[in-house]
This record gives sequence, C-alpha cells and structure tokens, in this order.
Amino acid sequence: MNLDGSAVLHASPDRVWEVITDPAVLARTIPGCESLEQTGQDEYRMNVTVGVGAIRGTYAGEVRLSDQQRPKSYVMHASGAGGPGNVRATVTINLEADGDATALTYSADAVVGGPVAGVGQRMISGVAKRMAGQFFTAIDDELTGAVVPIASAPSAAAVSDASLAAAGAPAAPAVRTFAGKAGVPAGTSGDVQTLALGAVGGALLTLIGVLVGYRLGRRG
Amino acid sequence: MTTKLFGEPVRRREDARLIVGKGRYLDDIGHNALAAAFVRSPHAHARVVDIDVEGALDVEGLVAIYTYDDLTGPMAEPLPVLIPHPQLTAPRTGYSLAYEKVHHVGEPIVMVVATDRYIAEDAAERIVVTYEELPAVVGVDAAHEARHAVHDDVPDNVSARHHQETGDVEPALAASPHTLTFTQYIERSASMPMEGRGVHAHWDADDRSLRVYTATQASTSVRAAIAAKLELSLDKVEVIAPDVGGGFGVKIMHPWPEELLVPMAAMNLGADVKWSEDRREHFISSAHERQQKQEITVGFDDDGRLTALDVVVWHDNGAYTPYGIIIPIITATQLIGPYDIPVYRVRVDSVYTNTVIVTPYRGAGRPQACYAMERTMDRIADVLGLDRAVVRERNLIQSSQFPYDAHLTFQDGRPVVYDSGDYPGLMAKLKDLVGWSGAEELRDDATARGKLLGVGMAMYVEGTGPGPYEGGHVQVLGSGKVLVATGLTSQGQGHETSFAQIVASELGVPIEDVEVTTGDTRRFPYAVGTFASRAAVMSGNAIALAARGVREKALRIAADVLEASPDDLEIEDGVVQVKGVPGTSIPLRTVAVLSNPLRYAFDEAAKQATQFTSHDDSKPPVAPGDAPGLEHRDYYSPLRSTFASGAHAAVVEIDPATWEIDVVKYAVVHDCGNVVNPMIVEGQVHGGVAQGVGGALYERMAYDSDGQLQNASFMDFLMPYASEVPDVVIDHQQTPSPLNPLGIKGAGEAGVIPGTAAIASAIEDAVGRRITSMPISPTELYDLMRNPAAERTAASAGRAENGVLA
Repeated sequence: MNLDGSAVLHASPDRVWEVITDPAVLARTIPGCESLEQTGQDEYRMNVTVGVGAIRGTYAGEVRLSDQQRPKSYVMHASGAGGPGNVRATVTINLEADGDATALTYSADAVVGGPVAGVGQRMISGVAKRMAGQFFTAIDDELTGAVVPIASAPSAAAVSDASLAAAGAPAAPAVRTFAGKAGVPAGTSGDVQTLALGAVGGALLTLIGVLVGYRLGRRG
Repeated sequence: MTTKLFGEPVRRREDARLIVGKGRYLDDIGHNALAAAFVRSPHAHARVVDIDVEGALDVEGLVAIYTYDDLTGPMAEPLPVLIPHPQLTAPRTGYSLAYEKVHHVGEPIVMVVATDRYIAEDAAERIVVTYEELPAVVGVDAAHEARHAVHDDVPDNVSARHHQETGDVEPALAASPHTLTFTQYIERSASMPMEGRGVHAHWDADDRSLRVYTATQASTSVRAAIAAKLELSLDKVEVIAPDVGGGFGVKIMHPWPEELLVPMAAMNLGADVKWSEDRREHFISSAHERQQKQEITVGFDDDGRLTALDVVVWHDNGAYTPYGIIIPIITATQLIGPYDIPVYRVRVDSVYTNTVIVTPYRGAGRPQACYAMERTMDRIADVLGLDRAVVRERNLIQSSQFPYDAHLTFQDGRPVVYDSGDYPGLMAKLKDLVGWSGAEELRDDATARGKLLGVGMAMYVEGTGPGPYEGGHVQVLGSGKVLVATGLTSQGQGHETSFAQIVASELGVPIEDVEVTTGDTRRFPYAVGTFASRAAVMSGNAIALAARGVREKALRIAADVLEASPDDLEIEDGVVQVKGVPGTSIPLRTVAVLSNPLRYAFDEAAKQATQFTSHDDSKPPVAPGDAPGLEHRDYYSPLRSTFASGAHAAVVEIDPATWEIDVVKYAVVHDCGNVVNPMIVEGQVHGGVAQGVGGALYERMAYDSDGQLQNASFMDFLMPYASEVPDVVIDHQQTPSPLNPLGIKGAGEAGVIPGTAAIASAIEDAVGRRITSMPISPTELYDLMRNPAAERTAASAGRAENGVLA
C-alpha cells in the first residue's frame, strides 16, 4: 500500500521538527495513545487503544527514526500488532518552509496484515486519514498554543532521566514513559471511540505522523 | 413401467411448506451474519473520479468497505462472458465492482459490510463518489444511430451480428406476388420474481472451505465461478439454492457480482456475510429483457402462403453481454413458429445501451419472435382480406412433415429440427375453444353495449430441454425412504412433486417415501441449470433413468433371495414380488439392506446383511463390477432440443371513453408431449399467461433519455393483479417427443410466449388501427386513435363502409 500526503503546520520547520519528535507531545497528540515509551535513541514503543464494533483492541507498536537531516527530512520505520492485525511501514517525511508555516509531505509504503487487512483499503486508509487529521490538528494546536499541555510529563516512576530536554536525546537513554490522553480514563474521547477498524494502520501510521491524505496506488 | 402416478394431477407436495411460511428462502438463513449493502451508480454512463469513504467511518457497526482496489487476481478481471459465440465479436462485461467507468444506473461501485443491513445502508449512504458524467445511449434507435458509444472501443455499439438464412431470400422476395415491409417495436420488461437475488456465505477458516447459499437457477455453475474467481479448489466450495421465490430467468444469469463479493467478504473477514437484494436494486441492477426493433419484409402469394421472409432485428442487450447472444439466437430461430417458410433470412444486431443488462426472462426472445411472425400473419390476412386463422392454416407445417428440419442452428448449437407436433390440430382446438367463428356476434354484442371487441390469436413453437445434460441420483435406504437428487435448481415449479411422481412410477414405491433434493452441489455436483423449459425434460428423464437403474439392481438382488428370475419380478408399493405369486415377496427396504454387505449390525434390519448370515461362499460379498448400496446415478443428454407448441387466442373489450383494455377471454391450446402432472402444467400456463398479459398491457421499463429508470418500484411498474388476468381456458394436445425416454417436452415458458402477439392482434381487431408497438397502455391507445396519421386496417375500413363503428 503506497500512501502520500501533506499537511501545513503553522510554525517554522525547526519548531515543527522539535515538536513532532518530542515524545511528550506525541503521547498527548496521537489519537488513542495510552502510553509512549522511549526505548532508545530515536526509538519508541507505544500502546494505543482504539476500536469499536467487530474489531476493537489495544495495539502495541514500535517506531524508529533514521536518516535524520534536521530540519528537512527523516525516515520512520514503524511496526505494530494487536488483536485485529498488524502493520509495517516505512515513511519518508520532508519539511519545507512555506512563509511562516511549514509544508510537511510524506511518502509511505505500508503493509497491513491479519484480519484488519480484510476490511478494504479505503476503510483502513479512511480511518488512518481521519486519525492523521486529528493528529496534525493537535500538533498544530501545540505549535500555535491553542492548548496547554496537561499530564504530559513523564511519570515519575518511569523516568530515570529527569533532565530531559525537549530537543536533546539523552546520552544513555533509559526507559521513559509518557502518558497519552487515552491513558487518562476521563480523557477518553468519543472521537477515538468511533475509530474502529483499521486501527493498527490508523494509529501506527498516525504515530509516525504521515497520513493526511494520500493517493492509494493500485495493488500490484 | 408403473404408470399410476405419471400423468396424474398430484397435489404439489412442497406447497404445504411454502404457503404456510415454512419455506427457507435466502433471507431466512443466517440471522447473525454481517450484512452487505452496495453503493451503486446513479448515472447511466460516467467515469468514477473519486470514492470518499470518510463520512461512513462514523457509523457505529461498520465493518468493511470494498472497492475495485480491493479486488485481486481473477476478481480484478472482468466478469465472464458465459456463452461465447463466434458472432459475438465485441463482448463486454462489467467488473464485480466498477473499474474506472460505470455503464448503467445501478452498477455496483462500493460494497459496505456492517453488523446489520440498516447500518450497512447508512454507511453506504455516506460514501461520496465523484463522477464525470458521459453521454448515455438509451434504446435501440439511439444505439443504432451510434452518436455516442457505450464502450469506447465499440463505436457502432454493436456487440454481435447474428444471422442465419435458409436460402436466397432476395430473389424469392422479388418473385413473390405480394410483399409487405413494416417495422414494429417491443419494450423492455423483467422477470420480477417475488424474491430478489440474495447470497449468504460461510467461510470455515480452519477447513478453508466455503458454503454459499444463493437464490440461483444454476448452483453448480455458480460454484465453479466462485472457485475460479476466488482461487479455491472446487472441492472446497459448496453452493446451495435454498427455496427460491421465483426465477423466471433472471437467476440463470451468474455469477452476479454479489455472488462473488459476498463470499470474498466472508473470507476476508472470517465471518458470515449476507446480502438480500431489495426491490429497487432488482430493478436497476439485475436484468431485463425484450426490447427489440423489428424490420420485417415478407413475400406471399394470393392465397396468403408465404414465399419468403426477411427479418432484421435490433436487439437491446443493455450495457454488457455476459449471457452472449442467446436471446438473439432464440428470436432468430424461433421466429418461424409452426410455419413452413420456403426461404427465411434473419439478422439480429445486438446493441449496447447504457441500461441494465439483458439476459433471458421467461420466453427468452420467443415472445419477440412470436410477435414478429404472428403480426406478419395478421398483416397478410388484412391485405388479402382473409381470415387470420385461414392464413395461418395455409402455412402450417403438416403432421406428415416431422421431423421437420428448419435448416437453422438453435441456441444449443444444434440443428432446429422439430421432433413432433400437430399444428393443424392446435389450430382446430383453438378455434373451438375461443369460439373463433362466432367472433362477429361477440363484436356485435359488445358494440350494443358501447364497447369495442376484438379477437386475436397467435401460435408458437418452442424449443425446450436443451442440453448439454442433467443427471439424477436415486437411492433406496434401509428404512425404505427413497432419496432423489438432481443438480438442477427449483424456483417453485413443483419439482419435489413431479420428480417424485416419476420415481414413484418408475420404481413402484409410494410417493410418500420419495424425497427430492435439487440445486445442492453437495448432493449432486454435475448439472447445468434451470432455464429453457428444461427441468422436466432433462432432470425428469435423468431421474427416470436413475430410477430404472435402481429397479434393475433391486430386481437382481431380490431374484437371488426369492430364487426367481428378475424377469418374473415386479415392484408394487415398495414390495418386490413374483408376478402372480402373492406372498413370495421381499420389501424394497430389505433389498436395500441386503445390497450393502455388512460386518457391523447397528439395528435389527442390518443383521440380515452381516457376514454370518447365509451367503454364497463362491463369490466375494461385492461382486466385480457391482457396488454396495441400492442406488444409481444416471444422466440424460439429448441429441438436440425437443419442440413444444401451442396456440393462444385473446378476446379484448375496450371502453371507447377511457380506452381501458380488458382481456375478457383467453384460450390456450398447449402441447408439451407427455405430461408428468397436468395440474402443474396448467399452473405453469396460467402463470405464463399472466406474465404475457403483463407484457402486453402493463409492464415496461420506463427509461428516460439519460438512462434513469423512472418506474423502478412497484408503485410505478405495473404488474397485473388477479383482477387483470383473464380466466384462462385450456385444452391439451399431446404429441410425445421421440427424443427422450419419457416423451416429454418443456412447459415452463410456453404460457408467456404468444401473449403480446395475440393481444396486439385482438386490440387491432377491436380498434381498426395498426398496432406497431407493444406493450400498449390506454393512454397510448387513446393517442393512437386521435392521431389522424395512424394506419387503419383494411378490415376496419371494410367494417366502416358497412356502417360499423371503428
């Protein structure tokens, strides 16, 4: 499945980069995110709970960033699995200044497997697109100060490096866990509840911040 | 042969189940299945630019959404051209879900699966498809003009040019004392079964096997299509036609997109999935039939005898040609009817239009053929001032001419050779039955009451029971129950009764012991399907042969036990006995037990077949060439079709104030050879006549020039009620077919064939204006009567001179 898309974010590429690679921000902007763990340099593990109807579940995923050319481009490798299925994706992200804003474009190559793969490409990508939209709106809100971050600091018990700097990677990374909105019971949004199928595709591809809209290539 | 049930009016055994709500139709199966619904094209011709499912995602209970992009392998290929033919030079078929373009309103584009049908429909409604509209081609004339093409690569819109000729028609016409040339139209109608189509699929993921229920007329072929399209081994697919609420042809078409997509979804989702067609879907996405433009030139002598007939037909095949040119072939070959025509040429151009596909509907090209031929007879009579019956009589094939070779090639690729019949006999009976000679008194009587009365008639010959084959399996159980299976399907024809009658008669068992199963590939995997009035001819004979095989084996086993010659044995009421020696007998159920040598006894009866009971040590328990069990499987494969025939007459009364047309009497003389069950045959005739009346007076598909079907509901599509269907008087004639063991011919479609022709003839007789387009409504008749350019018949001009109204 080839997916391409773009988004306009209201900040400079540097600022976008800073936010979009900040695990604390990601944890609270990814729809349905229960927790986000940093497991190494540019490596994360996360749990997302989404789904209604016939297929609902918790999905565990891993994400790794590579080929970083701050603030212009990077490549994300994502994989994840849950009851309804699994997904693996490689995504190239480009940031380009556009006046005061940043044009983000991405190109993804994703493989979706398991029962969720049987629900139809437009279904999966429709959910992913929806979640990507929510994600980028949330990111943009972060950038423009429309929301005040809450409950996004690493939980005390899990943080071993209290001197976390937003843009700096710790020299000897230890496991740090960030609570997502979905991890706060009261914060479970109705919107997330409606996102049933394609949750693996949606959540994980959203995690890597790539799905805004795309043209679906014909399956070879 | 025991004949006590063959030919008897046995009451339909299935009715007890069907009429009290105990039928098991498609929608009665799988209440917990996920439900499918479809997004269908609202445009007759358009490019699909975009499909946006965003809006559907909020619908709680949505499970899956499929578009063409989800189809892989053979599913991504076009649907099959079921019946290829060398003259079908530009076949086109659609895809299960539209690829790039749609070619008629109703073509499926998206399949939605949800937890129930309501939710599936809600989700489907929220999917936004963006179209780029393209010009629509609607009707045979527009197709013929070809200002626009339905398919870009078929610029003349012609899918096939079918032609046949029996001689050099042009010199024969040139040499004819008289010639007539005229053009006439017949409109679209459709099968309209009470139950639409429907599919239920169950996928066993562990066994990797699929069970599909579908309201089909061809379960074995649907099975093969599913296996091919979904890339499954045939043994992993079983297809069952449950009780099917009418077919009338539309369900012989297959595989329908839904018959492939619903199983595909079940496999993808690992869950049962079901779809039942709603009525609007049936109107816009199943199949129609009948529209033709006919250009006829006929040559004849002073006595009204035909010298040559030249016919050009423009046949509307709709958007695609999955069923090939079967209907054009049938129209072309059945057009000659019961008449001996010295030289005949026919060309049928099958043309694409942006409308629903055209596949056989009861009659399948024959009503149009009959309309062409019989209206020709009416015109000749009018020109010559002869009685319409007399002109027909002078042209009839005589009984001495059988077998009559028409020098044409039929829909089964085999020669049109009329095997038997008595056409003058039909005509004589018809005239008596309708009171043809008293028509003028009837007219006078109606005139006195202020009504216009007319009589009309039409005759037909119908090729029935085409091959390639059907099979039957008959098995006698140790309980005495007789299981009968044939692969051909049932849609309410009474097969459970008529096939049981055949077996009861052949085998000599009570009909109560006989159980018939049809259309279940688990029970009989080799079959063709139910169409072309072939069930009784094909499966009836196959089952008879299978029953004879069982009988032979039963007599052989019983002869051993009774120490008699098989020739001296008979089977009566399920007991094998020595003829003329009462008491020397063995029940058939015991023979069934003995037919299967056993090691293990599981009940008292079985003990008789175990190894320590008496036996002949000199032979193995199962002799070479023999098989355990009292059962036999056999097939009937005919050399060619058998030709049934009939003659209908209608008496109509027309109110000159409202132009309401009332069919006050309808007479049928019917010849389908030997009759298995006259009550069932009469039921078939009654139903056919009702559809014939509908086709003549009420039913049409009202497409506008944009290809929108404007009457796609039972509010606007008129079907005759009991109040519109006349009392039908029937007389039978039986000329057995020499082609098959039972001497039978098909009866399923006959009743509908001459309706349009006979009623058009009667209306024309009543009003004295040429009827050139059918069906005809009171409004159209009113317009015709007020049109000064409308052609008056010579007969009415003659009556006008004599001071008679009209």
